[in-house]
Amino acid sequence: MTETDRPETTPTDAVDSALESLSDDGLEGYNYAYLDEHTKREVRRSILKAIAVPGHQVPYASRPMPLARGWGTGGIQASLSILGPEDTFKVIDQGADESVNAANIRRLATETAGVETTTDTTDADVIQTRHRIPEEVVTDDQILVLQVPITDALRTVDSSDAANRRRHAHKNYGKMWVHLYENVVEWGEINIAARYPTMVAGRYLMDPSPIPRWDVPKLDDADALFVFAAGREARIYAVPPHTAVEPLAFEDRSFQVERFPDQACDVCGSTDTYLTEVDDASESAGSTGSRGGIDGSGGSRGGIDDDGGSDAAETETGSDAGDDGRRYVCNDTSFCHKRRSNPDLPRDHHLDRDDVDWGPGTTAADRGGEST
Amino acid sequence: MGYVAVTAGEEIIERAADLFEKQRLDGDAETLSVVQLEGQLERLTAQAASEGGLYAPRLAALAVKQAQGDTVEASFLLRAYRSTLERWDETVTVDHGELFATRRVSPAYKDVPGGQLLGPTKDYTQRLLDFDLEAEDGREGEPDDPTAEWDVADEDPETVTNVMAILREEGLVEEPAAVGETEPSDTTRTPVTHPAGRDEVLQELARGETGALTALGYSALRGYGQVHPTLAEVRVGRLPVKIEHPYTGEVVTVTDVEVSESEAVVPVYAKRDDPQFAFGYGLTFGRNERKAIAMTILDASIQLDGRDEPAENPEFVLDVIDGMDSFGFIEHLKLPHYVTFQSILDRIRSIRERTLEGDGGANSGSDPAPTEVETDD
Repeated sequence: MTETDRPETTPTDAVDSALESLSDDGLEGYNYAYLDEHTKREVRRSILKAIAVPGHQVPYASRPMPLARGWGTGGIQASLSILGPEDTFKVIDQGADESVNAANIRRLATETAGVETTTDTTDADVIQTRHRIPEEVVTDDQILVLQVPITDALRTVDSSDAANRRRHAHKNYGKMWVHLYENVVEWGEINIAARYPTMVAGRYLMDPSPIPRWDVPKLDDADALFVFAAGREARIYAVPPHTAVEPLAFEDRSFQVERFPDQACDVCGSTDTYLTEVDDASESAGSTGSRGGIDGSGGSRGGIDDDGGSDAAETETGSDAGDDGRRYVCNDTSFCHKRRSNPDLPRDHHLDRDDVDWGPGTTAADRGGEST
Repeated sequence: MGYVAVTAGEEIIERAADLFEKQRLDGDAETLSVVQLEGQLERLTAQAASEGGLYAPRLAALAVKQAQGDTVEASFLLRAYRSTLERWDETVTVDHGELFATRRVSPAYKDVPGGQLLGPTKDYTQRLLDFDLEAEDGREGEPDDPTAEWDVADEDPETVTNVMAILREEGLVEEPAAVGETEPSDTTRTPVTHPAGRDEVLQELARGETGALTALGYSALRGYGQVHPTLAEVRVGRLPVKIEHPYTGEVVTVTDVEVSESEAVVPVYAKRDDPQFAFGYGLTFGRNERKAIAMTILDASIQLDGRDEPAENPEFVLDVIDGMDSFGFIEHLKLPHYVTFQSILDRIRSIRERTLEGDGGANSGSDPAPTEVETDD
């Protein structure tokens, strides 16, 4: 029998050799993708149930992971349960691939599941993310796994999970509407920043995780599957492709995304992406020892590490600080990187179709440079 | 092309971990052995084992060493390890009368069958710093055994009768609703939903963080609750672990575990026509009487199922009692939050702009209350 003749399946009597062949995969002494097969199956079943009932929180037996709870343990359980050895994995934390915690999660997946990793949104099969949906359109070949700290939008109005489960069962969201109304009365507008309460398929009120309002419209009628996984609170929920997702708002107090009036990314010049402010004073030179930004950027400008020294875009716009001395940079570092060499790159550049609706700046109403 | 920063991020992680490890090795002192930790800092290792939900004293000592004495971190290491282990079997329910007690005190009665066994405890001594211990370092030879001169009769120990049994015989204790003959639930495998069964409550309490249990148990005593129990007894000892033999089907003892146990009666009468004490129970791995007693108070409090007092609200207690959950979420605030913070900034600037312009919807300008923007991540 030659090497190639060997049957694909391991004979049942060769348990020892089967185990031996397994031990070469990933972390020594641990099962493939860290979790045991039973657990992965349970998580997958929970995901399937969550897809079947969009926006409904499915309890699952969240396992203790070798990461602290509240640091992406739900997301990594979902990711490890759906990743296969052929898959490519991307992890972002607050929009950045290089965040230290994202790097730690990515390393766990590489070591235990042997997956390829990427920082390119369009190359990934599974993207695990904390608090952002990428700027580039996520396709129907991709799954986005969002880390969830608080599973229930109703937690804001009632701390009791038992009471909130009853409300969901009865589709009784009166208390949330009253909360929003009181917001308007007190502040003149709805004062919710991230974690914006969102109605899924007209049935379940969902906490979209603390993504900025900017990203909420991307959930609506998307091509991709969104899986929301909470480790500490042991719940999984999902927004399947092409599901209606609508942020709660009033007719005369509409839903508003974050505004960046007259601001452009200081690095790539984009005006249609989610920007974050950078305090110039915080810049320090280089990274030595373990010193670096907590986003792992080693103190480089805005969390974008430059792989070729200062380039034209940076030099041109580098001194162009905002009115109050504030500087803005793209939050999605991977897309910002692409835009630096190609400033007009559309967010659906990798698709056959044009003008794909993907949140602020891409909708028909937004097009033509109108800022939202 | 690629991100240099990605590699840098991983390098930074490694360096930070190296620095943490160096902290342990810094200085001239000899390194602590796992054996020393297991033998001499048993309270610490027992707490890690109890909160980790894994009875493996040597591993607990290893975890304490690796965590540099942080009990929550140590129990976290144990839990992460435990979750990769297969669950082979369930043990046979063991009668706690079989506990080999090294300590048993009964505050309820002056004299109890079997007597009060103080056992090893510092409870009744003055808490003065013992400077002699410092001089112990580097001393040659074995330290003196303070019990070397004792004249202990070599006879079988007396059987201690459980104090609760006496009260139960009199019909003074209301038994908590039985869980039934169904398989016990396992909260590490099935998520807790409310209302939680008593078996789930007891499991979560038994794995709860010692400080959290102590604080919540104390809250009930302090006036935020009705439960001020009388302890029937507090016991420390070794409890046999029994399984059904896979071939013969006979019950066999495979090992034993050190536990602290506490039982209490509470003068809260469930029924008017037949007044009976309510009952509370606490059990934890290792020597940790404080946690066992606090658990007893919380078990009794939760059975009252009140909504007004924190300790009596099962959902509240179970939501906050777990050290893994609370530590992780409290410390996650150290992670970057600039996306959500940008979102908050947008809200507050929007409201400020409108307020300053003076067309702020309702009561603009007149309300000096601080603006609170919601994100709760």
